[in-house]
Amino acid sequence: MKTKIVIYIIFIFFAFSKYSFSNDLKLENKINKNLRCLICQGQSIYDSQSDFAESMKLVVKQKIESGMSEEEIYSFFKIQYGEWILYDPQFNTKNFALWLLPILLFLVGGIIILIKFGVLKKRL
Amino acid sequence: MILNYLGNFALLFCLIISLVIFITSISCLNNKNFFLKKNLNELLFFKFFFAVLSFSSLIILFIISEFSNETVLNNSHISKPLFYKISGTWGNHEGSLLLWLLVLTFFAFFYYLNSKNRPTDERLLTILFQEVIILGFLFFLLKASNPFNIIYPVPKEGLGLNPILQDPLLAIHPPVLYLGYVTTSIVFSSSLAGLIKGNINNLWAKDIKKWVFISWTFLTLGILLGSIWAYYELGWGGFWFWDPVENISLMPWLSLTALVHCVLALEKRSILHSWTVILSIITFTLGICGTFLVRSGILNSVHTFANDPERGLYILFFLFFLIFLSVFIYFIYEDKFELNNKNLNLYTKETSIILNNWFVMYFLSVILIGTVYPIFLEVLSNEKISVGPPFFNKLIIPFLIPFLIFMSIGPNLKWTKNNYFSKKLKLIIIFILSIILSTLVSKFFGNSALNITILLAASFYLFIITIKDLIKKGFKNYSQTISHFGFSLLVLSILLNSIFSNEITSNMRVGDEIKFSDKIIKLQKLENTTEANFLKLIAYFKIEEKNKTELVLEPEIRIYDKPETITSEAAIKTDIFKDRFLVINLVKENEYLNVRYQEKPFMLWIWISAIIISLGGIINIFKKNEKQIL
Repeated sequence: MKTKIVIYIIFIFFAFSKYSFSNDLKLENKINKNLRCLICQGQSIYDSQSDFAESMKLVVKQKIESGMSEEEIYSFFKIQYGEWILYDPQFNTKNFALWLLPILLFLVGGIIILIKFGVLKKRL
Repeated sequence: MILNYLGNFALLFCLIISLVIFITSISCLNNKNFFLKKNLNELLFFKFFFAVLSFSSLIILFIISEFSNETVLNNSHISKPLFYKISGTWGNHEGSLLLWLLVLTFFAFFYYLNSKNRPTDERLLTILFQEVIILGFLFFLLKASNPFNIIYPVPKEGLGLNPILQDPLLAIHPPVLYLGYVTTSIVFSSSLAGLIKGNINNLWAKDIKKWVFISWTFLTLGILLGSIWAYYELGWGGFWFWDPVENISLMPWLSLTALVHCVLALEKRSILHSWTVILSIITFTLGICGTFLVRSGILNSVHTFANDPERGLYILFFLFFLIFLSVFIYFIYEDKFELNNKNLNLYTKETSIILNNWFVMYFLSVILIGTVYPIFLEVLSNEKISVGPPFFNKLIIPFLIPFLIFMSIGPNLKWTKNNYFSKKLKLIIIFILSIILSTLVSKFFGNSALNITILLAASFYLFIITIKDLIKKGFKNYSQTISHFGFSLLVLSILLNSIFSNEITSNMRVGDEIKFSDKIIKLQKLENTTEANFLKLIAYFKIEEKNKTELVLEPEIRIYDKPETITSEAAIKTDIFKDRFLVINLVKENEYLNVRYQEKPFMLWIWISAIIISLGGIINIFKKNEKQIL
């Protein structure tokens, strides 16, 4: 019971906390980190110093200034260069296995542990 | 020239000795005739000796810049400093494989000397499996990547070593990492041998534990070195990119981490027999898999320096052979495992170790799937996707929170009976304390998301509890406490680093100033100098703070001639609480420099905490030896 109360208090505590949103620069860096530099090997445009990355950074900056949201900017680049450019793979028909497989494995692992050690039968 | 032949023949002798050991140990197993006992360590020593001979001749070839050797030609040149001529020996595919072989033969020899308390047939079998691995590498070396290929006519100048590999840290990073990888092969061979002989029990665990810890410690240090190198050489201040090659080094580390815990459970409580063997197999295969994926060029990575599809095919074949062999042996001898019908008590160390393994395997599967899924998708549907940091963060961070909490509570439980309830209040108080602490931290600095705050709370929790344990328990089980403390420090430093990092990017000319919070950054002058093998452009920046402290940072741009490459050398000023990181880049067609100045708090603590983590491992190896002497 005590534990439950503690958990409730924690949740209320968090619910009333305000979390400020990041400013433009932070957003810009966040977006830059999520875009792949297409001419480099495995670097984001944030980490790269190539000409391509530099010009991409400028495009991102302009798009933010023109008021586009993060998602809009991603889809803009996705249309231009394909999904390869996004470091954050979207959840769609192609990628659902990518997102769900690890979690599925986690659940399967849990079930195996429960069966192997008889916790299911004896404890609950 | 003669060294080429010497190295080559030394490798051939290695192969012959290896075949002799392989064949005689098979016949010994059947005859139960252990005449080999006397000769085996001599044979193993000679094999090691020939590997040393071969490797040293390659080093000498590099030192004297003998360009009749193809490996030297492709990876060295005359004007390169001596230090990098030597480290260039293993900075390439052929040389690094030769190093693998050297370490393999050394550990086979070392294992044989240090396993006298194991049953003889198990030792022989371990050596047998070790020979299978060594033979695989030898054939690969001699057939597909011979470091001693001769070129005629002899060229006058070599092609040079990739400049970003010319770095002191990178000179020791691969050997340390290989020591870690190769030690897993001993664990692998020994667990297969133990499985066949039905020896997988708490005594086996006690003996193999040392090897698991050696391997784990080396891997931890190897990854740390690579990460420090990436920090100052590769990126613009990042130290972990979730890059495929980094992931590949992390995967065996994760499964080793699971194994470290699981071996303890096997030793103390005789549980998890089969799981220990499976983990040993997984760990070693992941190591080989890493070599395959890195060397074959399948992965698109910052670190892919040498690749060749044909070689990849060979390693792939070898890999499948090893997996098939171990799975085959596992299922044939599975019934030799001691059965355990023990019921698990919920509030015990056993449970927490199982939970640890469960979570660590989940992290491993996230990284594995994130790394190989794009490859499969491309093969199957011809569509290219990228899996980067956001994916890993999203799937790992939520699970890291309960993991950290279990990690804090677990070591406070006992192996069999629980004493959990007596300590419950204290644990809850600390928990509330860490939540308040983390909220204060993220509120005070005002820019952080909810999930980060909770994660911060969980890592504060682990941090406080491990400090409490360190003080309370004293020298009892301190290797565990130290490693856990290091891990909490690592998570904390990474978190605080990512929350409080601050940066500014700008284009500057000589004389320009930019303002950054309460500082003024001034580009004072530029200077050109010529070094042995590169041109250097140094920029002198002065950073003035309000309280009149001044700091001069001197980032460089280097233009190497062989092969022609431009690299940026960051200027880093490391303090206890923050790193100041300044890097410049040329802007095309004008006199401006692209400047990025970053303040990165707690960078030093990331490295320190990784050292503390491995310190726990070192203490454990040492502790074991102490007991053996007594």
